Amino acid sequence: MDTGKQRTFAVETVRLTKTYGGKTAVNQLQMQVQEGAIYGFIGKNGAGKSTALKMIGGLVHPTKGEVRVFGKPVSQGVIRRRMGVLIEAAGLYQNMTARQNVMMKARCMGLSDERSVDQVLALTGLSDTGKKKVRNFSMGMKQRLGAALALVGNPDLLILDEPINGLDPEGICQMRQLMLQLRDQGKTILISSHILGELSKISTHYGIIKDGELIEQISQEELNEKCQDYFQVEVENVQRALPAIQEAYTDVQIEVFDSRTIRVYGLKETAGLNGVLAKKQIPVYACGVHSMDLEEYFFDRMEGGSRHV
Amino acid sequence: MFNLLRMDLYRLRRSRSVYVCFGLLLAASVVVFVMLWLLAVPQGQENALRIGMLTEDGVETSRSILDGVDVLELFRQTALDGGMYNVTMGICIMLFVCADYQGGFIKNIMAFHENRYLYVGSKVVTAGILNAVFLAGHFAFTLLLNWMFKDMVPWTDIRDVMFYLAWAWLLTTAFGALEIFVCICTRSAAAGSLAAVLLGSGMVVMVLYGLLNMFHAGGWLNYTIYLSFSTGPSRYTSVQDLRTFAVGAGFLILYTAAAGIVLKKQDI
Repeated sequence: MDTGKQRTFAVETVRLTKTYGGKTAVNQLQMQVQEGAIYGFIGKNGAGKSTALKMIGGLVHPTKGEVRVFGKPVSQGVIRRRMGVLIEAAGLYQNMTARQNVMMKARCMGLSDERSVDQVLALTGLSDTGKKKVRNFSMGMKQRLGAALALVGNPDLLILDEPINGLDPEGICQMRQLMLQLRDQGKTILISSHILGELSKISTHYGIIKDGELIEQISQEELNEKCQDYFQVEVENVQRALPAIQEAYTDVQIEVFDSRTIRVYGLKETAGLNGVLAKKQIPVYACGVHSMDLEEYFFDRMEGGSRHV
Repeated sequence: MFNLLRMDLYRLRRSRSVYVCFGLLLAASVVVFVMLWLLAVPQGQENALRIGMLTEDGVETSRSILDGVDVLELFRQTALDGGMYNVTMGICIMLFVCADYQGGFIKNIMAFHENRYLYVGSKVVTAGILNAVFLAGHFAFTLLLNWMFKDMVPWTDIRDVMFYLAWAWLLTTAFGALEIFVCICTRSAAAGSLAAVLLGSGMVVMVLYGLLNMFHAGGWLNYTIYLSFSTGPSRYTSVQDLRTFAVGAGFLILYTAAAGIVLKKQDI
């Protein structure tokens, strides 16, 4: 992610910290979300994602630090008007219809034009729900209505916490299409999800949070580079195998994954490497070509990251 | 706050609980009028005697039940002095406020409105409007019932009615603010209901009254919302009669401010 240039980020947190009692839920979070990006926010349960998103959305007071949205403190009313928030379960009145719920949000924001209500209902595919009460909605419909509420007032920034939780494949597909449509309209989307495969289909940037700390921010391009194919060999003795490979291949990147495993990136021809090890009489237990996806990369980072040689 | 108020009134009009609570108040008035008719009106007493509800010996005593009672006094005794109105109103407000928390819609509101006092202010004004409608509607219904029961009790001077309803409105709105404060503190419908019943019916005040009276300090509780209802004047005679206004305004400001402070400190 670019950090050198002076730019206004859609979201920027400065040493954002939240402590509950003695426990730090979010620690010194330094997040930067570029305008127009779909920022996938990834972390295990309890890592601090929702707390961080709630602080960005102005629902939770930070213990320390600052949240800036489009360069201004999140406490400013004009900034709140540019944000749409869907955090955890969609906040809905169960005994009202979809339209009434959206009308409530519109009135809360002081919007008097009912066309905007119809627009967000159409955008989220809820125009034809009629007098059906929300309590009779499916999970997918409720999530879409939550997204519709977040979209009222045509915000520039959407903060979505687990928006595809509990959706069926069709619902996930619809939500994905909606995200892409909104991105095409120039909106910035900050989204957290456990469904990493789905996130990787839409995100342009990622932030990985672990134990309340942001351990990495990475763009899709950088991720693709890092997740390139590699050749993995499991050997009896890494100490002997490593210099042999380094000597034979000077233009590759080598990673010692654990005491038995070596990963070689940028290798064009794999048979030769086996030959090198055989020549040095280093026993090889297993070998093969692998490629990492976001999920694998995420787990790799969660386990403390790897050591590149 | 105007936008939040518009939003609250939009929902209020669509809340079934509001109509149910108002219906309960009206139904209670009907029951009271029927009972009084049976016990205190000669034609009703004949029916009461026939069904064994009244004995011949009790006819004269029962007839005196309505001595000195006018329509305002009857309204006070039926609805407000015993706490029934406050309990019903408290439950209605509790259902209204807690729905924000239970459904999670408060996240949508707070994500947009930084100033949380506006939220409390809107809720208190909504409670005040609801209260005004309930009080006026309930009193009008009492008048209607009195007319239907052939002027069972004499009418009251309109100036006295206006004076009484004005301070009753202030006190009941203050009680509404207390209920909002409890709901914001606890975010629990159960706690809100309990508060409505215990505080609205005067159970807490009466227990305290008993305890403080042991130290000859029970008089302080005359300045509580509950006891102000039963001791408050039915007509204006002197400046001292304005005390109930002061009590209502004081508690209204106190509980509104307390609810705002608590909400400001809370994470949603």
